[in-house]
Order: sequence, then structure tokens, then C-alpha cells
Amino acid sequence: MNPTAEQIQKINHFSKVNIDLCAIIASVVEIQECEPKEQLLTEGDTGDTMVLVFQGQVEVSKNMMVKTASGFTTSRKPIIRLETTDPPPAKDPETEATVFVVEAPAFGIGEFSLVLDNAIRTAHVNATTPLKYGILSLEDFTTIVMDHPEIGGAVYFEVAKSAVNNLATASGDISNLTQAFFFALTR
Amino acid sequence: MNKDTPLDQIQDSDVSPTELDSVIDTNKELYDQLNAMPEIEALEAISVDDEKDEKEKDAPNPIFELVNRVQTFYAENELARYASWAFLLILISTSALTIIEYDMFNGSVKDHTEGSFTFGDTEPNWLDTFFHTFWWSIVTFTTVGYGDVSPITHLGKFLTIIIMLLNFGVVTLLGGAVASVLVAQRLTGDDTLDENKFDGHLVIAGWNKTVPSVLNLIESNKDSTSVIILVNEMDKEVIQRAITGYERLDITHIPENFTHESVLRKAFLDKAGTFMILPDSSGLLPHEDPDEDKTVLTCLTAKSISEACNVIAHVLDVENVSHLQRANANEIVIPDEHVPHLLAKHVTDPGVPQFFDDLILKEEEDKGLQEVKIPRTLNGQTHNKISAFYKFKYGWLLVGYAIRKAGFSLDEQMGESGSPLIRNMIKEQLDGAGINLTSDEHVVVEINPPDDYKIDGKHSALVLR
Repeated sequence: MNPTAEQIQKINHFSKVNIDLCAIIASVVEIQECEPKEQLLTEGDTGDTMVLVFQGQVEVSKNMMVKTASGFTTSRKPIIRLETTDPPPAKDPETEATVFVVEAPAFGIGEFSLVLDNAIRTAHVNATTPLKYGILSLEDFTTIVMDHPEIGGAVYFEVAKSAVNNLATASGDISNLTQAFFFALTR
Repeated sequence: MNKDTPLDQIQDSDVSPTELDSVIDTNKELYDQLNAMPEIEALEAISVDDEKDEKEKDAPNPIFELVNRVQTFYAENELARYASWAFLLILISTSALTIIEYDMFNGSVKDHTEGSFTFGDTEPNWLDTFFHTFWWSIVTFTTVGYGDVSPITHLGKFLTIIIMLLNFGVVTLLGGAVASVLVAQRLTGDDTLDENKFDGHLVIAGWNKTVPSVLNLIESNKDSTSVIILVNEMDKEVIQRAITGYERLDITHIPENFTHESVLRKAFLDKAGTFMILPDSSGLLPHEDPDEDKTVLTCLTAKSISEACNVIAHVLDVENVSHLQRANANEIVIPDEHVPHLLAKHVTDPGVPQFFDDLILKEEEDKGLQEVKIPRTLNGQTHNKISAFYKFKYGWLLVGYAIRKAGFSLDEQMGESGSPLIRNMIKEQLDGAGINLTSDEHVVVEINPPDDYKIDGKHSALVLR
């Protein structure tokens, strides 16, 4: 079953796209379901698909090397949770959130795959509630953009905004890590 | 004259006697104006009131102080505790005997004193009888046993048996307490310190020939702390000779290894205001150099005991400076650091090195360059007004300020930038490694700032007295 054009337009990246064009995108997306704990994306993998979440909650996490009492170890650290509001998740999350939960009517994950061929996934994404989602492949999207170039402008602008935000955050992280590094060296 | 005029031009400039008078008159008028400033007059009154308040606050109630001293003495002195309880037991048993065997002791008083009674008139009253019983108790307790009074009745004899058995316990306990106190004092090196005395004091670890000069300078500055603990393994007699003769200073010597945490704790380092670590010559031959690793190790230990303690470390080898910086020493003093400057100044500005010598080495009481607190009410005022305040109120020359700068805070520095994940991870990891996210306060100086320079609560004045 395909999602509706309205469901596609609820996703931030497609909010500026005309409803008729959203219907074209919807036509290439198949709605799927999964259970909590199922992993949608794995950090380090390459992929050319964007995940469109229509209902449910996911947790985004990253592998981090941390020092513990027994030495250095790699542990998976949750970064953020994303939750749909229209409709809200069918069930409460199985585990309590330890990080901030961002709410949106619906959301997309892995948007860089709409631009890059074989983009590397930068984080793990797991379902924390029963999930209804769809997959938009780079190939399908490129074909649609070729036929309807006006979709490209709106979507690529949102992807670029997301990339710039990520860049600003990364720049802040590098600055913080550099300061912490020199601070630790002087202690 | 413009402040920015080069110094050589000042000397070369042509100043007529009229111009000189004019400059002096103008300044005199300015000084008079400054002196007449209402805020300075008001401040004089405020500072006098502040001094009074401080004195009143500082003066404790003599009764409370006496009670406190007795309580402290009782709590800390094992011998006093045993003696008090023994005396109480004797009093109780004497009172019991006086009541039970009143007739016998009363009759005995009559026989012994032959009509002259201290408290009663012609007949011995209960007080004479009680004192007589008390006398008998002490004679029996101490096993002297004059035999001038002895129980006759069975009841009297029975009570005497109890008294004598009681005596056995009390005398044994008392004797044991005396012995244990003496042994404990011998074992602890007779250095049990009164904790109440030590708060904001100075601890000096290590001994070398500079210590007496340091003590002299501290002695002459009445505003500085007077309580000092010396921690070093120098011969006790040498230290005793060196520390006699100070009127203001209260110096205690702990003859132990200052690198040990337990020894630093014994010197109440957690409550100390300043901790000075010096190159230690204790037990060294004249040609031997002090082990400066001890200085670094002691600095680390001190900071682990009290992060807030102001640690001043003196090192002979500049190689150790970086180690001490990592050990978080607040101030590091390196000898001969100023020598090249002084030598060069002898050539470029003769008189300046002599001025420094005179300024720094002045050991007269309350003279020379000193740091003094600025009245709180002057916060927000400009440098020229503060300068006028010290000049007109005390006759001191304000040469600059010592400013306490808040330590660097990594948490504040990071703010909200970057991702919360990375910020939290940095905090967790540094915290886990025992690294404090905030560095200590440190002191910077501002010498002769512009007239409109504003001061705040972090400033204290550097004045020439």
C-alpha cells in the first residue's frame, strides 16, 4: 500500500512540494511496518534510500569509545528520539527515553541519500514503538526529479539546510573537543 | 602635560617656574576638590564604622568563651575526664558516708578539733562533719591511712570496705589514664594540635635558609595571618631557635615528612588559606640539592586534599615548572627569574634596581609595597578616586591592583554550542578522569591603570606605605 500525498507532505523535506507532486512521490513509496527494537539503519553502512516515518517513534544512536573502570570500550550512546504526532505512535515506547524527544507530524531519516550515491549512514536508527514507514530510493527520486524538476529545488533546499545545520553542530563539537583536549592536557 | 609624551621629551621639555607653580596650584586645587568629595568624606565615616563593627563582631562573650574553653579542654583531655569523674565519685561517696555515719564522724570531729570549729560556733555543724569525712575519704583513697579516724560500727566498716574497693578502681583508672596520656603523647610526637586555632592559616612545607626571611616579612605585615605551621624534618632544636622571637606569629612545627597526606591533614591543610612548598634542605649536606620531585608530589597531594587551597610552590629547576602547572599550583616562584631584568636595568635605568630592592626587601613594620583590601562601598568607582581615597585617608600611594580572576570553566566555555551528546560525553569523561571542569582562581595585576579605570569586588589595592 502506498502512502497518501498528504502523508508525504507532512514530512519536513517535502513540505514545500505541491500536493500533486507529493502524490507522484507517494506512488513510488510502499508503506511497511516493523516492531520495536528493529534496526532501520546501521551506522557505517552505505545506502541510497531515505526512510520516511509516518507513525511511531525511533531512537537515533551512535557508537562512542568511552573510558570505563575496565578500560576503553565502545558503547552505543542515544542521541535523540524522533516521534510522529499525526498520527501519534500506536503504543508507548518500550524503553524510557534518556534523551530529548523531537516531535513532528512525520519525518524522514537519511535525507543525504537523496543527494549522494551510497551515502554512509552516520548513526544507528532503531524503532522504539511499532512503526509505519516507507522507503524512497535515490533512483526513484532522481527519476521523479528528472521528470519534475520543480520538486528538486524544494527538496534539495531542505536537504542543504539540514546539511548546513549539521555542519554548524560539527563545528561546535570540534571546538568543544579541542578545548576539552587542551584543558585536559594542562591539568 | 600629555600622558603619552615620551619620557625623554619630558626631561627635555622647557618648564618655566611660572608653569611649574601653575601645575602645582592646579593639582593642589584638584587634590582639594577630590578631598572634599562627599563620597570620600562619607567613606571615611563608613570605614570607621566598619572597623568598629568588625571589632565588636570579633569580641566574643567572655563567659561563653570560658565555657567553650572548659568544654574543649574536657573533650580533648583524657586525663581531665578521668580526674573529673574520680573527684565526683569521691564527693558522692563522702556525701553518702556523711549522711549514713553522721554521728560517728561528728563525734570524731569533736574529739580531734577540741572545741575550735571552722564552720560551726561551739558545736561542729554539718559542714565541719562533711569536711572531716572528705578528709578521711582522701586519706583512705590515697592509701595514706593516718588512722586518726576509723570506723567503729559494722555499718561504718562495711561502707569503708566499699570505699576502699571503689578506691582500688578509681586509683587504678586514674593511674592508667596518666600513663596512657603520657604514652600517647610520646607516640604522636607531642604534636596534637588544637583544631580550633587553625583556619585560613599558612602551612610552610620544607625548610631552607629563606624561611626565616619569609617569616620576618609575614611578622611585619599585621594584616596577614599570624598562625603558621612548619612541616619539615629539620632538627627540632634548629627550628625552635629559628622561630623564637616572633611577637605576632604563632608558629607550630610538625617534624614529619610533608609528602605524606596524613601529615598534611595533621597540619589542617583542608582549612589552610595558603600552602607554601619550598625546596627542602632538611637532612641534606651543604653540597646536596633538594629533591624537587617532592615539591611536585606535595602539590598534587595538597590539591587532592583541598582544591581551594592557594598553593605557592618555589622551585630551583625551571624544568619543574610545567610539572607544577599540571599539578595545579596556583603560583610558581622561580629564583633568578628577575636577575636579567635587574642587571639590564642597572645599565638602562640606574636607580630602578635599587628602588626594587628597597621596595621588596623592606622589612619594617607595615612599610613597603602591600596588598590591601578596598572598601566594598568603593566598588564601581574609578581609579583616580580610589587613588585619592588612599592618598588622603592614609597617605599611601596606590600603584596598581591585584585582581582575582575567576578560573576558566570548560562548561561555561562550551555553552550550548555543538551537540548535547558530545558536550555530555566530554563532561562525563573528564569527570571520570578526576579532572575538574573549572580551573582555580588566579591573581593578575594591573599597574597604574588609566584614571577612568573602574574597579569591582575582585580588585584589591597595591599600595606603597
